[in-house]
Amino acid sequence: MRNISSVLGRFTKGITLSFLMLFAIHSTSQAQDVKEGETLFKANCTTCHKVDRKVTGPALAGMSERHSEEWLVSWIRNSQAMIKAGDPAAVAIYEEYNKLAMTAFTQFSDDQIKNIIAYVKAEEVKLAEKANTPGGGEAGATGSSDANTWMIVGLIGLVVVTVLVIVILNRVIRSLENVILNNQAAILEAEAKNEEYTENKFAKFAKAFVKNKKLVGFAVLMLVALLAVGGWKTMWNIGVHEGYQPVQPIKFSHQIHAGVNQIECQYCHGGAFKSKNASIPSANVCMNCHNTVTAADHYDGELSPEIAKIYRALDYNPDTKEYGNNPKPIEWVRIHNLPDFAYFNHSQHVVVAGVECQTCHGPIENMEEVYQYSPLTMKWCVDCHKETEVNVDNKYYDDLIAAHEKLKKGEKVTAAMMGGLECGKCHY
Amino acid sequence: MKENMLAMNKKSFLGTVCAAVALTAILSACGDGKTRSTGWEFARNMYDPIAFNPDQPNKNFADGITAQTPPDGTTPIGFERFEFANTVEDYERAGRELVNPLIVTAENLKQGEALFHTYCTVCHGVDGKGDGPITQDRSVEDSRGKRQLENFPPPPSFHKSTGSMSSRGGLMSDLTDGKIYHTIFYGLNSMGSYASQVSPEERWKVVMYVHELQKK
Repeated sequence: MRNISSVLGRFTKGITLSFLMLFAIHSTSQAQDVKEGETLFKANCTTCHKVDRKVTGPALAGMSERHSEEWLVSWIRNSQAMIKAGDPAAVAIYEEYNKLAMTAFTQFSDDQIKNIIAYVKAEEVKLAEKANTPGGGEAGATGSSDANTWMIVGLIGLVVVTVLVIVILNRVIRSLENVILNNQAAILEAEAKNEEYTENKFAKFAKAFVKNKKLVGFAVLMLVALLAVGGWKTMWNIGVHEGYQPVQPIKFSHQIHAGVNQIECQYCHGGAFKSKNASIPSANVCMNCHNTVTAADHYDGELSPEIAKIYRALDYNPDTKEYGNNPKPIEWVRIHNLPDFAYFNHSQHVVVAGVECQTCHGPIENMEEVYQYSPLTMKWCVDCHKETEVNVDNKYYDDLIAAHEKLKKGEKVTAAMMGGLECGKCHY
Repeated sequence: MKENMLAMNKKSFLGTVCAAVALTAILSACGDGKTRSTGWEFARNMYDPIAFNPDQPNKNFADGITAQTPPDGTTPIGFERFEFANTVEDYERAGRELVNPLIVTAENLKQGEALFHTYCTVCHGVDGKGDGPITQDRSVEDSRGKRQLENFPPPPSFHKSTGSMSSRGGLMSDLTDGKIYHTIFYGLNSMGSYASQVSPEERWKVVMYVHELQKK
């Protein structure tokens, strides 16, 4: 199978290559520079366009079939002017994309724009080639289809092995039955002896054990020690959730977002700067990127099931890009849970003390699934507070020292100077 | 022979102890220390707050959420109204009428830079050139194997030297206070609204820092 498909793949590749060559000759005859088009495209167009799919603007594949080259050139140069002039095709696109204006590129020459169009055409051919060649084209899906063939081969193997085992066992049973039939009397005798023997063995052992006071003492000691150690450990771990890794409603990977994508922690957990809570981001923060990022490359062009959960929570329709009015909250499972009698403030630690998130939360940027890294016990807090030096080089401590100097000089301090006249001191 | 075993000379005694210790050590080293359960808890009610945390379910509201969105027409503390609509006309009007209320100081610029790096760098790049990490080719290796991640469409550069165009006309390096503020508030094209993440004062600090990048 594999051989045939690779031969086929080579064959089609050869055909497409020659086709590409033809295309290249054809395009050079028009003096279009695909290379320059690529540079221009990547510098100016990728913000809103992709060849194969709709982003902010339409997918560009097939645009040369939809419109003439002259039309495209004048659209790219200044689409707004065309819309104002009332060109029906231009107005239709403008309306379809909710009156979103495309950047005008008046600085481009006709040739430059034609180069961009040529580049888009070349990309289209590459895409078509990808989709048609069995070898390269299904590259995206090979992972899953490979897994499927392995599974089928494995299942067949399993069935064969099972049948073999059944046949062998049947034979064994038959021969054993024969043996029993031939030696019934001898077996009965032996069984009786065996019972007597085992009974004797256990009784003897137990009696000897009880008689040996030292051994009994040792065994009891061991048991007590074991229970004590186990009990001690268990007791100290009551209410300590170190290593707690609950299953979350969405398989959100911090490794991808904070690690590979290098998104700052506070981008999502902005509360860590400003408040007691580090805050779980609302789904609109997810949508800053996931209005565009659907991970479709890994799901055969379909939306990722995990990203679909965000859309469902927001009642968002990715096709029309509209929000419905039936949102449902994502019920994340809280991992770090301080008892309500202990006060902890994130902003105090992150902003004032400048503590890194990883100091308490561990290597979050490598965690595919988050777990509680620190024990969050009082001892753990106290140990860190004993070692951490306070940065006294700031206005608060300058004021404090100045106030002390005043006191030393014998200046009087009144309640009013300490905020004793503020309304809220009495009328709260 | 059995009597011998029970008499337990010193050697076999020591051997038993060693075996017991080794077994305990091996058993206690099992697992990677991660668990799906919180384990035993004492007085769970001391962990749960009496008042509602924002992320807790709440039966007092029809939708069951504690963190209610403010009613229409109200302004949260620390926020202010932005009297411009999300239209091209109001974008242009904001560009003409709005001026950064903060003065350019070293401290404001430093805070603007820090905010830019937290909220904008991911796409716009450390230097505002539109080459943030999520616009570049990159791959991840995890329990699902090694795979390429999707690239986010790169935004245009702020730099004067690049001469990139804004999709609403004009050079990116010519964007005025109000236009940048309007875009932070409403988002544009692939960019989402940052109104919920960045307060008005912080937005103006970011605007101030973007002007620094435009000079490059």
